[in-house]
Amino acid sequence: MEIIILQLAVNGILLGGLYALISIGLTLIFGIIDVVNFAHGEFLMLSMYFCYWMWALFGVIPYLSLLLSIPIFFFIGRIVQKLLIWPIIEKPMLNQIFTTLGLSLILMNGALLFWKANSRAIRMPGLAQSAKILNLRFSYPRLIAFIIALTIIALLFTFLKKTRMGRAIRALAQDRRASMLVGINVDYHYQIAFGIGLACTAAAGALLIPIYNVSPTTGQLFCLIAFVIVVMGGFGYLQGSLIAGIIIGLVESYSGFFLSIHLKEAVYFMIFVLVLLIKPSGIMGGKER
Amino acid sequence: MKSIIKRKNSILSYRNIFYLLALITLTLSPIFSQSSFYSDMVFTVFLFAGMSAAWNLVGGFTGQISLGHTVFFGVGAYTSTLLYLHFGWSPWINLIGGGLVATIFGVILGYPCFKLKSHFFALTSIAFGQIMYFISLFWRELTNGANGLLISFNPGFSNIIFDSKIPYAYLALSFMLITLFVSYLIRKSKFGFYLIAIKEDQDAAESVGVNSSQYKLYIFMVSTFFTGIGGVLYARYIMYIDPASVFNVALSIQLGVISILGGLGMVLGPLFGAIIIIPLEILLRGWFGQTFAGLNYVIYGALLIIMIRKAPQGIVGWLKEKYQPYFESLLRVSNTQKLYDDIKIKEFVLINKYGKKGDVLLEVNKINKRFGGLRAVKDVSFYIKQGEIVGLIGPNGAGKTTLFNVITGFYQPESGIIKFMDKKITGLRPPYKVCDRSIARTFQLVKSFNQITVLENVMVGAFHKINSYTIAEQFAKKIIRFVGLEKSTYLLAKNLTLCDKKRVELARALATKPRLLLLDEIMSGLNPTELNEFTILLRKISNQGITLFIIEHVMKPVMTLSDRIIVLNYGEKIAEGSPKEVSENEKVIKAYLGEVKKFA
Repeated sequence: MEIIILQLAVNGILLGGLYALISIGLTLIFGIIDVVNFAHGEFLMLSMYFCYWMWALFGVIPYLSLLLSIPIFFFIGRIVQKLLIWPIIEKPMLNQIFTTLGLSLILMNGALLFWKANSRAIRMPGLAQSAKILNLRFSYPRLIAFIIALTIIALLFTFLKKTRMGRAIRALAQDRRASMLVGINVDYHYQIAFGIGLACTAAAGALLIPIYNVSPTTGQLFCLIAFVIVVMGGFGYLQGSLIAGIIIGLVESYSGFFLSIHLKEAVYFMIFVLVLLIKPSGIMGGKER
Repeated sequence: MKSIIKRKNSILSYRNIFYLLALITLTLSPIFSQSSFYSDMVFTVFLFAGMSAAWNLVGGFTGQISLGHTVFFGVGAYTSTLLYLHFGWSPWINLIGGGLVATIFGVILGYPCFKLKSHFFALTSIAFGQIMYFISLFWRELTNGANGLLISFNPGFSNIIFDSKIPYAYLALSFMLITLFVSYLIRKSKFGFYLIAIKEDQDAAESVGVNSSQYKLYIFMVSTFFTGIGGVLYARYIMYIDPASVFNVALSIQLGVISILGGLGMVLGPLFGAIIIIPLEILLRGWFGQTFAGLNYVIYGALLIIMIRKAPQGIVGWLKEKYQPYFESLLRVSNTQKLYDDIKIKEFVLINKYGKKGDVLLEVNKINKRFGGLRAVKDVSFYIKQGEIVGLIGPNGAGKTTLFNVITGFYQPESGIIKFMDKKITGLRPPYKVCDRSIARTFQLVKSFNQITVLENVMVGAFHKINSYTIAEQFAKKIIRFVGLEKSTYLLAKNLTLCDKKRVELARALATKPRLLLLDEIMSGLNPTELNEFTILLRKISNQGITLFIIEHVMKPVMTLSDRIIVLNYGEKIAEGSPKEVSENEKVIKAYLGEVKKFA
């Protein structure tokens, strides 16, 4: 029994790392630009499709496609920010919400239009095995995903803390006007922030496609998970998303085993409501970013 | 000119004739054509107009963007269908039952969410919708999972199942008219004013006595009730429900889109929106549905983005923008004297006197407030007597506004006691509870409700003590005249100068009939003429028996007005006394001008 408990913990943590990566992209965009990107899940779905087609058409494995998809999605993010988000940045929240919702509708149904509702998957035989350490199984695709996800998160944290541009972006998160006054180019840095947010989904998509099937509605499910994590971790707090991501991973792993795999969404929501009731500002809420 | 105004108010005004014609057209619309395609469209337009009107109550009036209305739609549909299938309950009862169960779900979602900022609400509600989808999909014992529930065709009035689609259309029409009428009643009531105040500025609304989380929950309950009924009607009409069709995020979005296109927060907005969106959507689906599945939604999404960018005010908003100046000019021409003729009561008493002049009204004892390591207010004690004008001065960052926020319930102090009229009000939160004790305030950064008129601004305050619309209106007009704003009565607050916005804020606070009025830098940024006017106005307010506690940086008025002055520096009270005593106090001079270095 103990080994099962431990094994479930391993599965949960490995999954949680991936969830954290998805959520960090979302919370970064929210924390800095103050816009909730309702199309976040759809970008994840697109990146999964991208890696799927790279594999299906050219035989490129997702971990290599990632090197290509990250810059592409970063660039797409800059364009989306420039064309869609920037013009409504000073407008009421409603305008922002419905703009990203509109984008989400376009992307989801665009995918449906081009690739139909079929669910697609990559099955790489070499990856079906798992490493065995101390009687615990570490499935290769999940282990790789976890390691790459954590590496990317670490790089992102270093970027934000140590570099000049990272500091400018953090300053923008604190106060847009004050940042303008000290000469930070708001438009440009917002584009970078949105780009990074989408680059996170690009990476996450590449890491997910060997594990999960993709269909046009895949994005919605992951978007839901990301929302729960972002609220739980505290809106705009990157470390919070990391911790909450792992927690949700564990919750999914244990509830899937002890309750039912189908009830995991209900369990998410229960946690969600509990967090809102007990500490609505989230795990990290009220602390410094 | 006068005759035109009269015509506007009489029963046979252009406006009423227009409404009558519109009503007749709507009533006849289901029988224009016998084709089932047409009837289907009419039914859908009415159903969605009604449900959008319900959404508009929350999203438009109150500014809380719900993306989870599909939950209440679906719950209504499932509740009525299950009750009908398992217990044989008549759908007529289920109309109410479905609505009520939907309301329960609304409370489950709304209660925790409405204490938070509205981003949370949008996120939580969209998540709620998806979770309900999964639950309905996997709880097979109850919902029959993905196979859905089928209602057998058994026509009859008591089953709400008909051979023809026309009765359904009339049912949906009644539903829509009721929802629109309820919206109208709410918009024209105290409730509606409070909702708009919450949307415009929640802090300011709280400061004039609006219990914002409670009112948000109430309106959400009304909205979810009607959405639930919409779900019941849908289920009776389609006679088949499954998770994918009733728990569908796209439906929540659609209700919002219809309201936005029609005009957010406008009573008739959803009707206009539905008349355009629904046929468009049905046509798009018809053209592209088979061969290019998804293309209709791509176009829909693109239209949504363009519409939000180019015409966020919606159709009704646009009409209003175009024709409102015309009505306004009519009102402005009739001179203000006439406007105020309806004020009958000559006596103008703001408050009922409490105790004698000179009794202690507010007592603050050793209040402490810290933000992290910063002690913003340190052991501050003082008292304010009935009828006094007390000034609170100090350099920037001295903790003056923090002290105000502690007294008015915006912050919770760490320690200390605040007593008002001998009753403890320490840490009384949220702020509306402090307003209930007859303390009103204004804000350092002006918080007028900008999208509504001056009159409506002040009426929000007046509703604190008055429930009737007409009496509140009259009282508000009196206050407006009192502060000298009668020329701007019907202007939107956003079009006023800073000085006049401050007057609006002051009038709004006065309208709550406070005993104690806290004014936070109400004179900053005014020119000398305006300063004089304000000094006289504050004196007038004081003469009404209202006690004033004013933060001020502009020295001349505060020195002439105040009976006593309290000086704060770095969160500590460093001096207290008459204006003369304070201005000669060494500590005060040092705080303002810095240390004088003595050279030997």
